[in-house]
Amino acid sequence: MSIGEQQTDSYSKLKGYPKPTLRDSLLKYGGLAILLIAFVWAFNALDVNENALRNSPANILNFLNRATPPDMSVMDVAIQATLETLQIALLGTVLSAIVSFPLGLLAASNLTPGWIHLPIKSFLTIVRAIPVILLALLFVSALGLGPLPGVLAVAIHSTGMLSKFYAEAFENARPGPLEALDSAGANWWQKIRYGVLSQIAPDLVRDSLFRLELNIREAEILGLVGAGGIGFYIQLYSRAFQYQKVATMTIVVVIIAVLVEQTSVAIRRRLR
Amino acid sequence: MTDNTEAIHISNVHVQYKQSDKPTLNIEHLLISQGERIALVGSSGSGKTTLLRLINGYLRPKSGSLHILGEEMTARHARRRDLRRRVAFVFQGFNLVERASVFENVLWGRLGYVGTLASIVGGFTEKDKQIALSVIQEVDLLDQIEQRCDTLSGGQQQRVGIARALAQEPDIILADEPVSSLDPGLADDVLQLLLNVSVARSATLLMSLHQPDLARQYAQRIIALQSGQIVFDGKAEDFTDAEIKHIYRQEPTTMSEIV
Repeated sequence: MSIGEQQTDSYSKLKGYPKPTLRDSLLKYGGLAILLIAFVWAFNALDVNENALRNSPANILNFLNRATPPDMSVMDVAIQATLETLQIALLGTVLSAIVSFPLGLLAASNLTPGWIHLPIKSFLTIVRAIPVILLALLFVSALGLGPLPGVLAVAIHSTGMLSKFYAEAFENARPGPLEALDSAGANWWQKIRYGVLSQIAPDLVRDSLFRLELNIREAEILGLVGAGGIGFYIQLYSRAFQYQKVATMTIVVVIIAVLVEQTSVAIRRRLR
Repeated sequence: MTDNTEAIHISNVHVQYKQSDKPTLNIEHLLISQGERIALVGSSGSGKTTLLRLINGYLRPKSGSLHILGEEMTARHARRRDLRRRVAFVFQGFNLVERASVFENVLWGRLGYVGTLASIVGGFTEKDKQIALSVIQEVDLLDQIEQRCDTLSGGQQQRVGIARALAQEPDIILADEPVSSLDPGLADDVLQLLLNVSVARSATLLMSLHQPDLARQYAQRIIALQSGQIVFDGKAEDFTDAEIKHIYRQEPTTMSEIV
């Protein structure tokens, strides 16, 4: 008997390995089946019209035709409005970071007792659940058109997510250094500053930059409901069928978005 | 070597973790004089870490009394912070802020002396920085002073941990398995360093050690724990192989009792 055979032989004696149970299989295939049914059900909502499908390539070509060449005369408006969008996003993110820092501390399960962090976490879930466009509509009707309602909408909406991210970053701080500072006689504030923040500062910056990227995208949309920025002009020109101007706006938006994302990714990668 | 002032005085202390019904630590009487160098031995779960954390003020006794440096350590002691900064702790896993530099980690050992507002804005005094510098020199890490701790070897990281403890200007140095994450060769270096810095300050050194041989080599007095009780307390030379066998062999039966 060769060594290989001996091994196989001794393996075959080990019969105690876990086999998938009926419950496992049911969960697996049942889950797949439910997914498939849900997909078919959702497809019904499309209510596909064959005529529309047939005409769509022509329509799209027609649209592209009317959008080219981009009307460069609105370039200055596009740049100005994009800068406003960036300002809205930046202000909203900074405001949100300022609010999220204490909220995140309070929502971190390793720093506060359950009766504090659990209600705060639920509150943040609710804040996150409100779509940013609803917030913008609300603030536009309360404060009128312009960038201010946009800033507030972005700030509140992103606080829901950023506070949660910050809390998770705080929770990821290793407890060892905290215990060490505790035993050196440091008080709660000092432990937060030196035991926690010194460990996770890069995570906070990373989260904030990521949220800034998202907020720029949100802020572009907010103009549609009159809350300032480039979205306002895109909406204005497309309603007036001035697609060549819309094209210019779109080009500027895409370029700015790509630039910001590349910069942010590069910074985030260098943080450690 | 030792003077007669009390460093640690424990009487009738019981510590119990919420989950278990057996006391984790049960000490009727323990007196340690200032300047003694003691090794704490016993197998895992015998209560070594619990005892150290108790003396360190991290845990509070359920009953009994605990005096540190002549003062009673109670939950709401007005001078609790005062007392805690005079008791330094060296950890098995170093517990450094890894992305901070050697200097920063050691300087933060001074936090017990700095006011809240001042420390938040980084207001360490010149004296704090001088102390940090001199203890870093003492552990021979001046060349690495600006390096991030995660770039250091295990032995170097433990030396940073010791320097941070020394920055507290401690009267008592506690060390919980200070060398069990290190290679055997490094273990001797680190224990020798702990011994030297304690002697230099006539500080009390109480360290838990896994290896009885190291305990006999580096301590004057040995305290052995078993199931939370002191089962040996005497001179290092009286800690014979027979004692060691007795202490470590007994453990499995008690473990099964717990289960």
